[in-house]
Amino acid sequence: MDNRELFKNSDSVNELLARYGVKFGIYKDHVFHEQLFPFDMIPRIIPADEFAYLEKGLKQRVMALNLFIKDIYHEKKIIRDGVVPEEFVFSGSGYLACCDQIMPQKEIYSHISGIDLVQAKDGTWYVLEDNLRIPSGASYPMIARDLCRKCEPQIFRDIHPEDNRNYAKYLRETMDYVNTGGHTVILTPGRYNAAYFEHSYLAEQTGAHLANGHELIVENDHLYFIDYSGKKERVGAVYRRISDDFLDPMTFRENSLIGIPHIFDIYRKGNVAILNAPGNGVADDKGIYYFVPQMIRYYLGEEAILNNAPTYLPYYKNDMKYVLEHFDDLVLKDVAEAGGYGVVFGYKLSKQEKEDFLRMLKEEPRRFIAQEVIDFLDINIMEKGELVPRKADLRAFVLMGKEPVVWKSGLTRFSRNPDSFIVNSSQGGGFKDTWVLSQ
Amino acid sequence: MKQLRFHYYMEIRFDIPVHDHHFTLRCLPKEDDSQINEELNYEVRPYCDLCRGTDAFGNEMLYGSCREPHKLFLADVYGIVQTGCGERISETASEYIYRYQTLQTAPGVQIRGFYKELEQDFLRETDAPEQKDVTGMAVFFMHRLNKRFQYRSGITLIDTTAEEAFEKGMGVCQDYAHIFLSLLRLARIPCRYVSGMMTGEGFSHAWVEIRTPEGWIGLDPTNDRIVGDDYIRIAKGRDYKDCLINRGIFKGCVGTAFQEQMIRVEVKEIGEKTDGND
Repeated sequence: MDNRELFKNSDSVNELLARYGVKFGIYKDHVFHEQLFPFDMIPRIIPADEFAYLEKGLKQRVMALNLFIKDIYHEKKIIRDGVVPEEFVFSGSGYLACCDQIMPQKEIYSHISGIDLVQAKDGTWYVLEDNLRIPSGASYPMIARDLCRKCEPQIFRDIHPEDNRNYAKYLRETMDYVNTGGHTVILTPGRYNAAYFEHSYLAEQTGAHLANGHELIVENDHLYFIDYSGKKERVGAVYRRISDDFLDPMTFRENSLIGIPHIFDIYRKGNVAILNAPGNGVADDKGIYYFVPQMIRYYLGEEAILNNAPTYLPYYKNDMKYVLEHFDDLVLKDVAEAGGYGVVFGYKLSKQEKEDFLRMLKEEPRRFIAQEVIDFLDINIMEKGELVPRKADLRAFVLMGKEPVVWKSGLTRFSRNPDSFIVNSSQGGGFKDTWVLSQ
Repeated sequence: MKQLRFHYYMEIRFDIPVHDHHFTLRCLPKEDDSQINEELNYEVRPYCDLCRGTDAFGNEMLYGSCREPHKLFLADVYGIVQTGCGERISETASEYIYRYQTLQTAPGVQIRGFYKELEQDFLRETDAPEQKDVTGMAVFFMHRLNKRFQYRSGITLIDTTAEEAFEKGMGVCQDYAHIFLSLLRLARIPCRYVSGMMTGEGFSHAWVEIRTPEGWIGLDPTNDRIVGDDYIRIAKGRDYKDCLINRGIFKGCVGTAFQEQMIRVEVKEIGEKTDGND
């Protein structure tokens, strides 16, 4: 493909994205900044057979993660059998004691999963992170594709990527599958949230109501949406885009103003479905990531199809020894942090910083994981009219309804800083569309 | 085995009307292997749609929302409970969660120091192997804590941590329980906070239960004794916060409405002579 064809309209597509409000908000020093999420017109292209491999691996992974969460909140067999040490589960921030013994509709805990992958220079794909709580990002390639098709219809006549506009249909099916009777709502904290564009876009595309906590009330053990005329409408499924902590002030943070009082009580009774299930963060803790290949073996009796990045747990003596000996070659991650925060590259630390860090590591080994730095495959982006290579990852989306479905697209995020491996949008990165070739 | 007649009354008075008042009450005695509700009545005012549920710790909840403005909120619970009905083994609730410290029980330097002292003394002073089991150790800790800590109200608050209370050296039953939990969890003994009532006291009470091979056993560090059939269990959890008798949020007019809470508790054994004041 001649890349230049695509760039001709790069500016107009970015202008349209800005006009549609494709933005990403971040809080820095407690001040809300809204910035455009820079879009690079050159798509990441994944051949059909390569994506088929990813698809198989992603389905396997998400099925195992779901079984793990169900086990942790019920029988806890994987712990009794000594596969996962109990302190990694019960003292992790993702574990919520109040979810014990709750069985969500259809036994699904992670309806919408965002799995972050990277490809190394040798072509091997690695899973870097599982995001099961409220992963965002699907809306960006959706709208970007739509606008690109309008600006450059010719290209889509020559190349045949899988159509990615079916995400809304999959999402709707996922929500309907668990709905307990009534309307479907996307619950947003409001426009000062980083992903507000996505909330409103997904509501529009799926035909769900976009609502905030004030528009929803619990009465007589059921959830109702109050419409503009004051009429109450029963709600059966809530795709919540607020974290567990803020979901219900009667169970979680008392000072949450964006939640719905008592929603957790009726969820426990099975009177409303919540997507994704509260407490499912127990499986996407960075410390738990280490154990995913073991989980796949334990629950499915299969070997993991997708690789984990080589990871060490300083919690284990041997791993700690390795980490101390190879500190400069490793990247260390604080298991409690997300969004690219709490990530430390060993070789970048000064002598003093290193000493401080090592002290912390030895005091609280459970808090960190260490990973080999993967030499990412660079992807070209267009900058000031020139092609430049940048680090990029891929967030693939897996939707769990009756069967797991992998969306044949994904959010490719890249770092705009040539020396950085961190691609998170909250750290100022940009995005690309992901084209999965149909043949 | 005892038959206890109980009456739990709580009221909150607001100086300005509040509305959209959401509440969750954990004030109903929970039935289990050894405690049966022979008679249970409850009433909440103002009138609203009252729902009943069970939380993850197995506690009975009464919850609802009073949306209309009101200045008085009350819960009145009374009935007859049969206690001491048998061993408590069948309970299936996970004990894993009861092994970990919480924000309120997390030990600091002081409690860790006290724990070291207790651990050494326990090994030295206890020769008989039959006392070296989990219960023996817990009872030893309880005696020592009871001697070391002094009962006094008004020193600590509801969100005081075990470490803070221990540093002050005095507090109420909640503080005894938190410090005790902190020590037991340092010793890797699964244990939980229990709120309830006991005969003779005009307040709600709190104590601790430990998990032993024979089931859950109650220990009351405030009174330095093993919990018997003169106690009524209401709620249990990892710490005080899981057992809040009344958790509520509401909207007022300006700022935070001033509120005054009053609680009255009465527990009497049936057949027991009353003091004539009734």
